[in-house]
Amino acid sequence: MLTLRDVPPPTRRPAVRPRGRRPFRDNPLQILAVIGLLAAALGLALTFASGSWRYSPDFLTEFVLYALSVADLTMILALVFVLARNIIKMMVERRRGLPFARFRSKLVGALLGMTLVPAVLVLLVGSELIRSNVDRWFNAPMEEIVASANRMASDYYSERQLLTSGTAARLSRALAALPFPEVDPVAVRDVIQPEVAQQRVSMVEVYRVARARTGAPVVSSVVDVAVPSLPREYNRASADRLAERVAAGSREAHGPEPLGNGGQLLRAAEPIRARDGTLAGVVVASDFLTSEMAARSRQMTDAYEAYNQLKVLKNPLLGVYLSFFLMVTLMILVSATWMGLYLAARITRPVQRLAAAARAIGAGHFDQRLEPETSDEFGSLMEAFNTMASELSVSRQNLERSARTLERQHQEVEARRRYIQTILDRITTGVISLDADDRVSTVNTAAARLLGLEGDQEGRPVGELLGRPDLEPLAKLIAVARPGDADKPAQEVSLAREGRELDLAVATATLHGQGGAIEGRLIVFDDITPLIRAQKVAAWREVARRLAHEIKNPLTPIQLCAERLARHFQGAPPATRELVTECTRTIVGEVESLKGLVDEFSQFARMPAPRRIPTALPPLLADTLGLYVGLFRDVTIETRFPADLPPVRIDPEQIRRVVINLVDNAIEAMDRRGRVVVEVQHAPAERLVHLIVADNGPGIPEGEREKLFLPYYSTKRRGSGLGLAIVRRIVAEHGGTIEVTANVPRGTRFTIDLPA
Amino acid sequence: MIRRALLAVLAAAVLGACSAPPLRVYALSGAGGGDEGLRVTALAKDGQLLVSFSLADGLTRELRQAIDSGLPATITYVVELRRPAALWFDGTVASATVTATVRFDNLTRQHQLSRTIDGRGEEPRVTEDEEEVRRWLTEFDRLPLFSTAQLEPNMVYYVKVRAHARPRLSGGLFFWPWGRGGKTGFAPRFTYLGDDRG
Repeated sequence: MLTLRDVPPPTRRPAVRPRGRRPFRDNPLQILAVIGLLAAALGLALTFASGSWRYSPDFLTEFVLYALSVADLTMILALVFVLARNIIKMMVERRRGLPFARFRSKLVGALLGMTLVPAVLVLLVGSELIRSNVDRWFNAPMEEIVASANRMASDYYSERQLLTSGTAARLSRALAALPFPEVDPVAVRDVIQPEVAQQRVSMVEVYRVARARTGAPVVSSVVDVAVPSLPREYNRASADRLAERVAAGSREAHGPEPLGNGGQLLRAAEPIRARDGTLAGVVVASDFLTSEMAARSRQMTDAYEAYNQLKVLKNPLLGVYLSFFLMVTLMILVSATWMGLYLAARITRPVQRLAAAARAIGAGHFDQRLEPETSDEFGSLMEAFNTMASELSVSRQNLERSARTLERQHQEVEARRRYIQTILDRITTGVISLDADDRVSTVNTAAARLLGLEGDQEGRPVGELLGRPDLEPLAKLIAVARPGDADKPAQEVSLAREGRELDLAVATATLHGQGGAIEGRLIVFDDITPLIRAQKVAAWREVARRLAHEIKNPLTPIQLCAERLARHFQGAPPATRELVTECTRTIVGEVESLKGLVDEFSQFARMPAPRRIPTALPPLLADTLGLYVGLFRDVTIETRFPADLPPVRIDPEQIRRVVINLVDNAIEAMDRRGRVVVEVQHAPAERLVHLIVADNGPGIPEGEREKLFLPYYSTKRRGSGLGLAIVRRIVAEHGGTIEVTANVPRGTRFTIDLPA
Repeated sequence: MIRRALLAVLAAAVLGACSAPPLRVYALSGAGGGDEGLRVTALAKDGQLLVSFSLADGLTRELRQAIDSGLPATITYVVELRRPAALWFDGTVASATVTATVRFDNLTRQHQLSRTIDGRGEEPRVTEDEEEVRRWLTEFDRLPLFSTAQLEPNMVYYVKVRAHARPRLSGGLFFWPWGRGGKTGFAPRFTYLGDDRG
């Protein structure tokens, strides 16, 4: 049973709050910082997306698309993680039956539904819109326009290149007539000057080709002629490389050379072959394109290329846009999901904390406190809870103090009760306590033993408890003495229990409670049987002494007078003499008989105290029983002595008298025909020696057995009735007891218990 | 506990996604395997391991369109000389990176061609011939990429070539760009017997 002592001592508990540093969800600054970071990331992404068309394809396909995809994947996993974690958590909470688990599940479900459904719809519709918009970028008219423009610029370029190449070829054929390689530069100039003068080309450069030792062609400039209007920013090395490539046999004989002012030189080179077909020189003709013309051509081509590049990059760009859109959607979804869970937690968590704290208080932790996380109604609720917990704690402390006092008092009472109980259990006085309804409260050991009560008697009516016939005198006495009566002196009550007379001195007392109210009664009784018995014996001894004194004194004169009468009438007539003789003989005989009787009474009255010495009981008994050998023909005396019987401290003469008395009684009871068993038993555990004398005579009725030991009680025709009284007295003065029971199968059995 | 498990799953998924391409390549490694379009042969001669490879379908329609739009197109070949291992991943003895780039000028209608081997450039070329452009990008004959001094006699080797083109234009799921890897080819395994006996 749980008692106040079992409750653990109160320990001061800190207010219920998350351990460690403040969690993210309860830190507004951190939340704001994260929101700011997300907004910045979103702005950055928007800026990036708006300029995505400017980025190189490699950057788009090798970095941007991967980065966005990783971001999308991460956010999808984060979303799945957040959802799965919270769904599992809510399922566990619902299974455990935690408070508000169902409410929280419904709240989170509603918030997620309100977020997920629109977000997915926006994602689907938005993706389709992006696709259709990107498709619209590429339409047939625009493609034709930019393609035509590029074709025009390219054709113009090609045409000018062809003209330059034609001029270079014509000059090559004309210069082939000159003696290369040792050609006169003036002659060369004369050939090329008209072409330049007529502005068919802007510049002509002529090279001679010699052979090195390795056979490789070596190109060196012979002469160059340019129109005066040609800008001087052109690079001669460019023409030299072109000439070297042609001299080396390359077919790449033309190409543009950009100039610093934005213009271009369209160069064309032709080999000059001698009459034998050997390479003698190289002529490089260059046509100058003004910067305006070159720029316009390039613009048209750039527009065409930009359009086509956009077309080529359509899929990567579409992927970037869709991934970006997906990223934004996921960002919103993750944020909204987290916000939904956060709101649900903000609503249900304080209530859950309250419930947990209430459970803790219910379990006895009265120092449980809650730290208000907010200053709203939930905060006020927690303050009120803390106040209630404080008051409960104070009440609990007062209660515990009172309990400790009560416990101490209880212990004192209990100790006193045990003390009284011990006394009651040990004393020989019987005590029965009754409550106000005369029902038994307690029965001590002595009372149970004296009245022969067995088992638990608590609660029984006293009338029922004392309802047995042998307890009827006591029941009458209790019935007469009502609760509240003035306490009376003890009254003697004699009970006949198990064939024995039990004398009790019974007193009743009223139990008063506080204010004098009657709470019950006490029945106290003492076994005064030995006292009564001793009083009886003492009375008989006094009677015996007086009888011996008062009767014995006149007996001798009576006897002497009778003898004188007999002698006096010796001479009288025969008839008189016979009469006198007969009368005096009778008188003398009776006087002798009276003397014997008086002697016995005298012995009973003056019996000396036993002189106890260690005595071997079997030899003593054998010697005593030897007196009966041959006296009674039809009586068998059987002895049963143990071999290891220790010596017993007894007065041998008095015990011998006891045995003779018992055996005489047995023989007389059997009418001098039967068997007498004299047995000695040793009981080391009880430190007793049992001396048993049993016969198979007619036995003694149960009601007569206790009277046997009273003086002057005899069942024999002759006898003083003091034999067994003397026996009991001798045994009692040896510290023992004597008991008479029925022998099995018949007869009487006297058992004497002597201290071993 | 649940939080840790989910975090572990998240981390594993991200790691797996990021490492998907190299894992795929490792799965294909081994002599005689690889993509059909990339054929590789190796020949040891004059102290050099001459590697020839051709990418049959290297000039795809998308790459052709990119070139025509004026975008510079590059095919990068990562050539690895490898030694097979029985119980572990094959070891790479040496590697070289070969790039071939083409840029088309829509104004002059000329292709500018250039190649590099381990960053060293060759003389650029200009051509108007598209077939030459295709050969320039996809056919490489007897490139002296490795020295036979790196080889141990009587040991088995093979050459692995991974090719990928830029820009990468083929589509896939818009949020899953990892499905567009390059091609891998392997030269047959050979046993290097010693100097000039390849």
